[in-house]
Parts: sequence; structure tokens; C-alpha cells
Amino acid sequence: MVFARIWHMIGGRRRQPTSAQMFRQAQRLRDEGRFEHAAELVETALLSDPGSVVGHLLAGSLHMTLRETGQARTSFERVVALEPTQPRALLGLARIAIEEGEPATCRELLSRALARYPDFPEARALLEVARGLEASADAKGAAAPSNGIRADRLRLPAESREALFVRRDATLLFAAPRGPRAEAVAASAVKLARIATAMLARAGLGPLRHAVIEGAAETTYLRTDDAALLTLAFDSDVKAATAVAHLERVWGSCRSELA
Amino acid sequence: MTAAILERPALGRDLRGLLAELLKLEHITGGLVVAPDGLTIAADLPREIEAEPLSALAATLGRELELRGPKLRRGTFPMAQFASVSGTAFLGSTPVGFIMLLGEPRADWDAIRAGLRAAVGAVYRAWAR
Repeated sequence: MVFARIWHMIGGRRRQPTSAQMFRQAQRLRDEGRFEHAAELVETALLSDPGSVVGHLLAGSLHMTLRETGQARTSFERVVALEPTQPRALLGLARIAIEEGEPATCRELLSRALARYPDFPEARALLEVARGLEASADAKGAAAPSNGIRADRLRLPAESREALFVRRDATLLFAAPRGPRAEAVAASAVKLARIATAMLARAGLGPLRHAVIEGAAETTYLRTDDAALLTLAFDSDVKAATAVAHLERVWGSCRSELA
Repeated sequence: MTAAILERPALGRDLRGLLAELLKLEHITGGLVVAPDGLTIAADLPREIEAEPLSALAATLGRELELRGPKLRRGTFPMAQFASVSGTAFLGSTPVGFIMLLGEPRADWDAIRAGLRAAVGAVYRAWAR
């Protein structure tokens, strides 16, 4: 009897942690900001428990935090294979679809999540964005081609490194310089404005009118209304007041051209 | 406020404390910290605003800027502001996620920029260790 107790104690000390304990430990590591360690621990635990929804969800979340989109997608797909209506995994995949410019896929994933869990406010918020982006793409397909806008009439400031004028359906009206990626950049600008508008609406504010996006070397100023969008990029040392004055003047010229 | 953040480097790990400091800025009405996967880490918002959907959209916008900013192309974006006629949302990017502040139209961009820059720097320094 005594031997049995001692053996049990020794065995208990030597026992490997269960996968559930490892996932809990990984969550603690994540909360401490040790994301790589947490991800390694989850990966190890999943070797012994490959069917764990919790483990794959945690892995997906950690990969998103580490900005490893491809690995995050794999993790979320494994969750959905195990549990087809798992809402967090569907939301994770929908977010990746939005990032990759696939609003129809995003809408389909979110619709699946909402059909099972109608009270899912994050999914509803993202679904509005996806529907808006799809509508933009459809409108662009139906729009008449632009006649183009003459740069000399816009009087672009000499300090501006890049200018872009685009309809809210992502039809490019003007770009300086006009490179091979101008259309893609225009689409990105419209997408950004649409997400920002949705975010402002959720914050109880009105639609987007201005934006300032600071980068390491330059700052992009954006002006928009319901019909069009203008961006001007300046070196970071250009004063904000000067840049905004240029933006408003060029915006006035652009709107006149569009009218 | 900016000095308070700079004098307390531990705030970079205490995201709730950091957000509380930022909310002391004049004309800031609320804010949140959200992980890149859209999960809310900390939030202090006016009662009528739901944290989860706003967090989801802030993270989506943050990722979009990370992937395509600042020239709406791939690059880094330390900070951005998005304004409507009735207010402004300020967004800062950190390794652990995004800090978003909501401001009244009369909020001073320079003061908020300085505060947000200090906060983003504190998070970078704390989480890089």
C-alpha cells in the first residue's frame, strides 16, 4: 500500500502535462506577449492532440498576431474541418479573405457564422464592409470608362510625391505618376476608405471626410465624399497645415472636373 | 500626459493602464486596444458604442494599413487619423495590435499625435524584450 502511494507520487511528478494544460500555458504566454513561445507550445500540444479545436483556434490567433496569415488560414481551416460552424474560425477566415481582396468569400463565411450564431456583432460589422466592397466592384464593372482629367487643370503642388483621384466605385480618374499599379492602388484607397467609414459609423461618427496616414518617410492626406476620393502624398517634413491647404485646393479642382 | 507615458516604461506592457493614460488627453472620448486578430484587449468607450464590432473594424483597418500603407502600398504606418464632420478616430500600430482613440472634432491632432507616438513607442520597447 505504501509502495503504491510512493509509486503514484513519483509517477505523478513525471507525468507529462496534458494538451489542455499546455494550451492554458500557451494562453498565459500569449498574455505575457511571448507569442513565439506560445505558438511553439501550441504546436507541440497539437502533435498529441491534433483534433483539438481550442488548440487550432489558439494557433490561428497567435499566427494572426505574428502577422503569419498563411499559417493562420491553415489553423482556422483545420478548426472548420473539425467544427464547420465554429464562429471564431469563420471570422478569422473572413478577415483573411478581406485582407486578400475577396469580399464575396468573406461574405459567404460570415453568413455561415451568422446563420448559426445570429448574435455575433463582430461578424455583422465585417459583413457590412464585405457587402460594400462587393457593391463597389459591381458598380465599377457597370461604370462608363473615364475620359481622364488633365493634370495642368488640377494644379498639383510641387511638393506632392503622388496624387490619386478616384471614384468611390474604384474607377481611377487621375494618377500622378501613373504607373502600372495605379489601378490597384486606387482600389486599395477605396477599400481603405470603406473600412474607415464603417469604423467611424460604428463609433457613432459620420462618414469619412479626411484622413492622414503617417509613414516612415512620407504622409498621405486623403479627402473624400460620397462620390470620389483624392489622395496626395508628401514627404514627412512638409507641414500638415501646408499639406491640408494643398489637399483642399486640389480637391476643389477635382470636384469641378468631375462635375 | 506624454511625459507620464515616457516616465513609466512599464505602461508599455500594461495596455489597460496605457489606454487610461491616453484617455486623459483633452477631447478624447474613448478608446480601445485590439489584437491583430480582432480580439479586444482593453476598451473604454462611451456607453452607446459596442466594443467588439468597433474592435473588429479597427483591426481590419489596421491590417489594411500595415499591408498597403502609407502610400496605400505595403509598408509601415505608425499612426493614422480618420475624420468625419462629427469626430475623429486615431489609430496607432504596435507589435501586439492597434490602439484606437476617438476624439471630438476640436481635438488637437498634434497633442494626440505626440501622446499616441509615446504610447506606440512604449509598447514597442516593452514587447521587444
